[in-house]
Amino acid sequence: MDTVSVVSLRQVTKAFDKFTAVDEISLSIRQGTIYGLLGPNGAGKTTTIRMMMRIIYPDSGEIDVFGAPLRQVAKDRIGYLPEERGVYRKMKVIDLLTFFGEIKSMDARAARRAAHEWLARLELTDTATMKVEELSKGMQQKVQFIATILHAPDLIILDEPFSGLDPVNVNVLKDIILDFHRKGHTVVFSTHMMEQVEKLCQEICLINKGRKVLEGPLAETKKGYGRNSVTIRFQGDGSFLCDLPQVASSNNYGSELFLRLKDGADPNAILRAASDRLSIQKFEVSEPSIHDIFVEQVSAG
Amino acid sequence: MKTWYIIKREYLENLRKKSFIISTILAPIILLGFYAIPILAVFFVPGDQISIAVLDRTGRVGEDFVTSLCDTLKDGRPRYQATVHGAEGGGFDERKDMLIARITSGALDVLIELPVDALESGTVNYISKDVFNENTMDDLRDKLNPVIVNQRLAGRGLDYDQISALTQRINLNENKITKSGVLEEEQVVGRLIMVVVFVMILYMTLLSWGMSVQRAIIEEKSSRVIEVMLSSVEPRDLFLGKIIGVGSLGLTQLAIWSVLFLAVGLSSAVYTAGFMNFVQINPMDIVYFLVFFVLGFMIYSALFTIIGAVCSTEQDAQQLQTIVVLPLVLPIMMMFFVIQNPNATLSVVLSYVPLFTPMLMLARIGVSEPSLWEVWLSIAILVISIYAVTLFSARVFRVGILMYGKRPGLREIIRWSRYA
Repeated sequence: MDTVSVVSLRQVTKAFDKFTAVDEISLSIRQGTIYGLLGPNGAGKTTTIRMMMRIIYPDSGEIDVFGAPLRQVAKDRIGYLPEERGVYRKMKVIDLLTFFGEIKSMDARAARRAAHEWLARLELTDTATMKVEELSKGMQQKVQFIATILHAPDLIILDEPFSGLDPVNVNVLKDIILDFHRKGHTVVFSTHMMEQVEKLCQEICLINKGRKVLEGPLAETKKGYGRNSVTIRFQGDGSFLCDLPQVASSNNYGSELFLRLKDGADPNAILRAASDRLSIQKFEVSEPSIHDIFVEQVSAG
Repeated sequence: MKTWYIIKREYLENLRKKSFIISTILAPIILLGFYAIPILAVFFVPGDQISIAVLDRTGRVGEDFVTSLCDTLKDGRPRYQATVHGAEGGGFDERKDMLIARITSGALDVLIELPVDALESGTVNYISKDVFNENTMDDLRDKLNPVIVNQRLAGRGLDYDQISALTQRINLNENKITKSGVLEEEQVVGRLIMVVVFVMILYMTLLSWGMSVQRAIIEEKSSRVIEVMLSSVEPRDLFLGKIIGVGSLGLTQLAIWSVLFLAVGLSSAVYTAGFMNFVQINPMDIVYFLVFFVLGFMIYSALFTIIGAVCSTEQDAQQLQTIVVLPLVLPIMMMFFVIQNPNATLSVVLSYVPLFTPMLMLARIGVSEPSLWEVWLSIAILVISIYAVTLFSARVFRVGILMYGKRPGLREIIRWSRYA
């Protein structure tokens, strides 16, 4: 087994009654990476993560965390932000954070100190003695995020961490994730918001309907799709471009058009065809975005 | 170790809640209101004086009857204010009309009319606004009876002193045998009241704290905090933490009540030495009460945990919890039978049924002191049941806490308990 794997799944399957949520998924998450678990809603992301945490158990297959089946002690080295956010709403923020630190085997005083530091960094200092239920939804999310990383876990697992946050707070969280990454912590997060993946992740795993569609380093994955994508911004009706023989698939946004070309097709042919009938503002030959790969893979599957 | 933090959080957070403070203060007041005051009233409230007029057409009974009305109230005043009326200045009938008018106006409570042939016929008229006061009527009948009998016997030529000696009533003295000796009659009543009060307190605390466990678990589920918890601790820690945390709160409440009871008892004039003698608590009662609270709480909280684990909302749980509340209510319904017949076969058998043991064995111990092996046998059966129920409950808990939506059927719940 790969010794630098923090998490590895081998042929893991989990079914709920007749519905197979996760179907023979194997994956390996290397130490120190930011790993994106991607997939549409209901693909099996949350089930996969819950099995990593041993909150639920796989029907078959093996899961290793830190090189061994997850034990109680190892849970202290993991910070987990579930998709379903939940806190003790009647508790004071500082008491809640201290408690979550304690059940990660932190010393109460250390937990309290760390909580105050994080509250300050996330501009929540004033809320320390307030009850959680008195905070806005966004603030509660930030408090829960602090609870996840309070004990500086080696492995941080975030299930849809950015959902429901405004762009400013998304940036704050992103910076914290990158900080941990720089210090060598491993971050796993699941999302269906592709822009974040593009910017943050080094490795991705795309799953759909419980099965793994592709896995690997982001750059390589994109390279695998080649530089045969074209983005055109224009004025006029460009829909005829989608029907050109060189085009494998297309995505029409009205004034911007995204085209994937067939193997060996010449992008210049597209440019010529377009320039005859449209006023072109931008023409770019590029790698496909993760979003495009995602849409293509999911709609193909 | 992590269980400890869960216990601590559950305990401290709930201790600060208004609901805990209110129920701790309010419950004794309610209990006192509903149970203790009516009972204590019978023994300690002096009651009202009753004014009686005796219209004696025989001329032979009135004086003796009035003399025999010598009861006193609790505060030392005479219970009856009785006067004898003859036919002074007019006829008996006028006199009667006058007395009835006084009853109507409220100046007089009762008129006893002794007809001319009262001695022969034994018929006496009781005239009052309130003819349903069985207590007063019985008492007056009991007082009047010997006077009339004595007069009849005297009419046959017997000496008055001899009559008194011959018609002396027999007295049935209640003497209860206990290990510490023989209790006096008044103490037996006090003992019964204490047993009822103890069993009622046990019922109330088991019910309210059992349901608190259920509520705590549903809260954990409905606030979705359970997944965060499970990423840090094992389901077992959570299960034990909840039960022990809530149970400690229950014990704290009982301790507060005991201190309050003692404080009031030692400082108030109501609880004089006489009262402490009357209520008849001995240290073993407290020990048994605590033992049965702890054991009862364990078995019932495990059952309420199952309800909490399989339901997603309070409303869901309300229908199901009847199944658990029923075995709590049944011993209360059986309590008076058991107290009256503590050694009847039915009482003995019921006191061995684990779900009934806490309340019914406590009742039996309170009134009849069953032998020690009986007590230990019932406790042993209870402990084994607790083990089995807790094992089952913990397994259902582990699966159920992550389930939302449709409530599972019984068959599904049993299937959960078999998951590895």
